[in-house]
Amino acid sequence: MSELPDLRKAMAESLPVYEAPAALRMWAIEQARAADKESLRDGQPPTSVPWVRTRSFYKWRTAAGLVIAAAVGWGAASLRPVGGTTPGISVTANELVDAHVRSLLPNHLLDVESTDRHTVKPWFAGKTDVAPRVVDLSDKGFPLLGGRLDYVDGHSAAVLIYGRRLHKINVFVWRSTPGELPDRSSAVRGYSLLHWTRGGLSYWAVSDAAEPELEAFRDAYVQ
Amino acid sequence: MVRHADKAPDVRTAAAPQPGRFESIVLPHLGAGFTLAMYLTRNTADAEDAVQEAVLRAVRYFPTLRDDDARAWFLTIVRRVCFTAYGTHHQGTEVISIDAAGPQLVDDRDQPDAATSRLQVQQRVRDAIDQLPPLLREAIVLRELQDCSYTEIATVTQVPVGTVMSRLSRARTRLAEMLHDVVDFGDVA
Repeated sequence: MSELPDLRKAMAESLPVYEAPAALRMWAIEQARAADKESLRDGQPPTSVPWVRTRSFYKWRTAAGLVIAAAVGWGAASLRPVGGTTPGISVTANELVDAHVRSLLPNHLLDVESTDRHTVKPWFAGKTDVAPRVVDLSDKGFPLLGGRLDYVDGHSAAVLIYGRRLHKINVFVWRSTPGELPDRSSAVRGYSLLHWTRGGLSYWAVSDAAEPELEAFRDAYVQ
Repeated sequence: MVRHADKAPDVRTAAAPQPGRFESIVLPHLGAGFTLAMYLTRNTADAEDAVQEAVLRAVRYFPTLRDDDARAWFLTIVRRVCFTAYGTHHQGTEVISIDAAGPQLVDDRDQPDAATSRLQVQQRVRDAIDQLPPLLREAIVLRELQDCSYTEIATVTQVPVGTVMSRLSRARTRLAEMLHDVVDFGDVA
């Protein structure tokens, strides 16, 4: 019995700690700054906030449905210097696996659920500075399930989600850094990772599917 | 310079408006507020709405913040929004999550590998927390997941510390009933 975790540990291992969705955070910062401006102008704290309750935020919400960028690693990632020519593969790989596992928690997988690439691709526009290649690979056994935004290892990532039988493949996409080494693959905690760069973008595919399947996926995707 | 955000001292010493104060003092706790809202509303859309409403209220009431605990202050607002606007208080054990409603797929006879059984344990912990009544759920989430002190929980939930301790104790007892075989509850069980 002594090897059972205590409640705190069990909860920490089981329950997600959330980060506020990026759009909500940006909206809150705007609110704070708007209030600053108003209070400076009036010389006193604002009694009410302009009810901007931004339409764009709601539009985003409607479109996005469920955005959760969980807190795990966020603080650490944002404090660490980002980029450079020697990206720490183990850190990145670990965070990618965390993000993948997190995405499998209820309601975390998809912000936009669509098997239609013409829906998924425009959805990313304006939400991220990368425009990942979105293709449906159903005929090759990798149906497109949808997309998501995430924040991994200091990168705002566009994430494409593909299915592989009962497995999910998360494809994280962000701008590649100069000197980034392509084609690394690794296995972390039983998950497979495959990395490639193309067109100035860095792609990481993460899945609990076996590595050869990931390679088959990459080959289908980059064609 | 990295400051411990939880210990932001002496929040409003001067009467004059100080640009950027809200952003640096309250917004670091946005994630904590969203997390609490997620566990209270159990619904991403409601949690986002609640936090949004809480931010608007927090901006408005920021000049009244004299406490040095901005996190507890912001969580108090988030919680109040959740309870008043999103009917969290109407929830009880009768609300069973979709996950919890299904059959428990824990097969005790055969544990193929440690990873699978760990996932099953995690699901059971989530289900158990989910089934707690809101007042017990928020107490245990604030305490064990968000690492709040008893005093902070008392502030956030607006009850005396004694009530907080009693709720935590009841929460642990309820959880122990559901999870005694996978979690070590010490004396509680």
